Amino acid sequence: MLNRFFTKFTLSAVLLAMALGIALAQDEKVIVIGHAEVAEAYDPAHAYSPTGGMVNRATYSTLVTFPDTDASSIEPLLASSWTISDDGLVYTFMLRDDVKFANGDPITAEDVVFSINRLKNVKAQPSFLADPIVSVEAADASTVSITLSEARPSFLSELTNSAFSVLNAEVVMANGGTDAADAAETDKAMDYLDQTSAGSGPYMLESWKPQEETVLVRNPNYWGNAPYFDRVIIVNIPEAATQKVALESGDIDLATDLSPDQVVGLEGNPDIGIFRGPGSATHFLLMNRDPEIGGPMANPLVAKAVRYALDYQGYRDLWAGSVTPGTNMWIGLAGAYGQDKAITRDLDMAKSLMAEAGYAEGFETTLSYPDFTFNGVNLSTNAQKIQADLAEIGITVNLNPGEVQVSLEEYRNGQQGFGYWFWGPDKLDPVDFLEFLPGGKVATDRTKWTPEMAPQDILDLIAQAKVESDASVRTDIFNKLQDYAQAEGAFAPFNVPAVQTAFRSNIKGYVWHPQWSLDVALLSRTE
Amino acid sequence: MPLYQYLFRRILFSIPLLLGITVVAFLIANAVPADPINANLPQNALNNEKLVTAFREKWGLDKPPYIQYLTYLKNLLRGDLGISIKTKNPILEDIKQFLPATFELATFSILIGLVLGISFGVTSAVWRNSWADYLVRVFALIGVSFPVFLLALVALSVFHAKLGWTAGPGRLSFLVKDPPHVTGLFTLDSLLAGQWKTFRDAVSHLVLPSSVLGIFVSGIIARMTRSSLLEVLSRDYIRTARAKGQIEPKVILRHALSNALIPVVTILGVLYGNLLAGAVLTESIFAWPGIGRYAFRASTSQDFPAIMGISMLIALIYVVANFIVDILYFLIDPRIRYS
Repeated sequence: MLNRFFTKFTLSAVLLAMALGIALAQDEKVIVIGHAEVAEAYDPAHAYSPTGGMVNRATYSTLVTFPDTDASSIEPLLASSWTISDDGLVYTFMLRDDVKFANGDPITAEDVVFSINRLKNVKAQPSFLADPIVSVEAADASTVSITLSEARPSFLSELTNSAFSVLNAEVVMANGGTDAADAAETDKAMDYLDQTSAGSGPYMLESWKPQEETVLVRNPNYWGNAPYFDRVIIVNIPEAATQKVALESGDIDLATDLSPDQVVGLEGNPDIGIFRGPGSATHFLLMNRDPEIGGPMANPLVAKAVRYALDYQGYRDLWAGSVTPGTNMWIGLAGAYGQDKAITRDLDMAKSLMAEAGYAEGFETTLSYPDFTFNGVNLSTNAQKIQADLAEIGITVNLNPGEVQVSLEEYRNGQQGFGYWFWGPDKLDPVDFLEFLPGGKVATDRTKWTPEMAPQDILDLIAQAKVESDASVRTDIFNKLQDYAQAEGAFAPFNVPAVQTAFRSNIKGYVWHPQWSLDVALLSRTE
Repeated sequence: MPLYQYLFRRILFSIPLLLGITVVAFLIANAVPADPINANLPQNALNNEKLVTAFREKWGLDKPPYIQYLTYLKNLLRGDLGISIKTKNPILEDIKQFLPATFELATFSILIGLVLGISFGVTSAVWRNSWADYLVRVFALIGVSFPVFLLALVALSVFHAKLGWTAGPGRLSFLVKDPPHVTGLFTLDSLLAGQWKTFRDAVSHLVLPSSVLGIFVSGIIARMTRSSLLEVLSRDYIRTARAKGQIEPKVILRHALSNALIPVVTILGVLYGNLLAGAVLTESIFAWPGIGRYAFRASTSQDFPAIMGISMLIALIYVVANFIVDILYFLIDPRIRYS
């Protein structure tokens, strides 16, 4: 009798536990992301890859960060505020007092010191980011000061890189980690940090099977707003065509690597949502300032006429989701001129500029560009439109599409008189724009627009832009430089094509970011 | 010649073969005009002399090639295949991770290929020049000549996305947990653990990729079986068997087919080796985490240690597959035994 009772009891207990388990499993909110994995490590001091950036964005926090959608300002994250010394060499950060690691430990200045020193000393791929740093010191438990070898206005932007993630020093050291000068040989924490995280992001790394899948689970001690999903499964699907099939059949909720053609093919499917936002490549024309190379194009008035002759709206219509940039400063950067401040087509103005330059009857020239499709944008298609646009002000353009490597070589050596290229920022900071001003790589080396051709006040502004770290002063400097580029520049930036991503239509909150590409903590699902 | 002597001779032959493969693999890997440093360090790090030197030293790229080769050989004898530059794991570990998936896929594929191929081949030979023969020949031609990646994509979009008959990419549905690791073969491991749902899911995921590969294999086997069976059927001993009054199915299956399959067995070793060496495209399209994809990634990133490790593995697979074929030969073809 008793026996039977126990059997019954055990049986019901097992059944109850199973039911509970199933209920819990069903309640868990899970998102599956199809992604072509490019990751050699997740340890922040070793990871320097797209997947690493995306995962570490979710599992760690940095001192400062960018807004969710672009790089237009520096926002506080672990640091509540910071000051920069007048000489631009010492950055002092005050940490928030309510921040904790995923295991519940408080985050202290010592953790920041450890993390940055470890990054520097393991001498791994992202370690070069710490090269400008001379020393890191904890003034007290919540104050850190970083000393640089020279003024570096882009330093705060660089600090947003997940390589500067703050790690739980105690946990990392307990697992073989060290920040000592010989860390390159003695640090043994990478294996540990590739399988789990020791950070304070909204998620924790639960497991990583390289080339198979990465699983993130919610951080119960997260100090910010809790993310929607309990679990994020990032499955490696290298083939974009397979990602598309998997997305259509609902195997995955989001596909990160579809080509623009594939995204267009999904339009009209009620189960699929599409995100389109400006990408990071600015398409532009360059007009060589050396008359021997550029011919009539070397004349600044002609360059300006070209800027007024382009049919900007037409390029936007051609490439869904694209925008017109104000200048060659990538539109997502702090203070960049956007579409509202961009030049608009004015054929009368363009023609009068041509006349003023002495080319009322027009001239014939050759446009060189790589025969290439980048992120779904075919350069030849745009080149044909450029040809048609400029014909309206009397410029007869012969198209000279070249093999990519050959054309690139000509471009880099400054041999192209009139060229069509695109540029993605090397640094997500306004200083990147200096490449397109006299003295910069693209301006001087590739377009022969040298400092001798620029007025002294502009050269002074450029020199100041390289050292000034005060945000409002910087904005002022870069506004002036952008005005100058619009009026006198040797370039005609005309389109920033879109980034396109597709997901199941019940997924909300997707935005693309130039730094970490995807912040999984922003995603949610409509019930 | 007794079996053990035959086996011993075969094993002895394999040693210089494997050694030769290490040399060839090493030479090819080093002859490629590409720099592993360019392939493995990011653009920004390339400008940093310190990082480049550290990378060179760490992976022994600063030593002359013959020293690199001898070091490799020494480690190999100790069973150490080295460490992958890309994954930073011991290559043996990587192989352990990726090989079971490929092994499972290849085995299912070869079984499908064998069953389809032999039955089609027999049908085609027995009813020679009938409509069935033409049908099989067209099928075999398509199987052999149709690009596998295209077949894979079409199969995936039709049978998975449109009709929903089979599971999609991956070895298991993304929300299903792996069965406890015993062999690494999900079908077997899930059965051992008594997880029926996982087993069904694993089989459902195997159906499409193994059919795609199986169709390719069956095309070759069908053609082989057909021509070989046709030849055997014209032999005198078949006429004798018929004259004895044996029924036709017995004549074909027992007397003709068993002899006709000898060349099929030969090609089977090569085909199975091929499948195990990794069907790169099929694995990529079905997001199948197998050795083919690993090899592809290793070669595109100039991961020399991994390329060498994979080359050795593939060579070993071929040697073993051919070894098994030789044993099968010995068993099914009495002429070898008495030679």
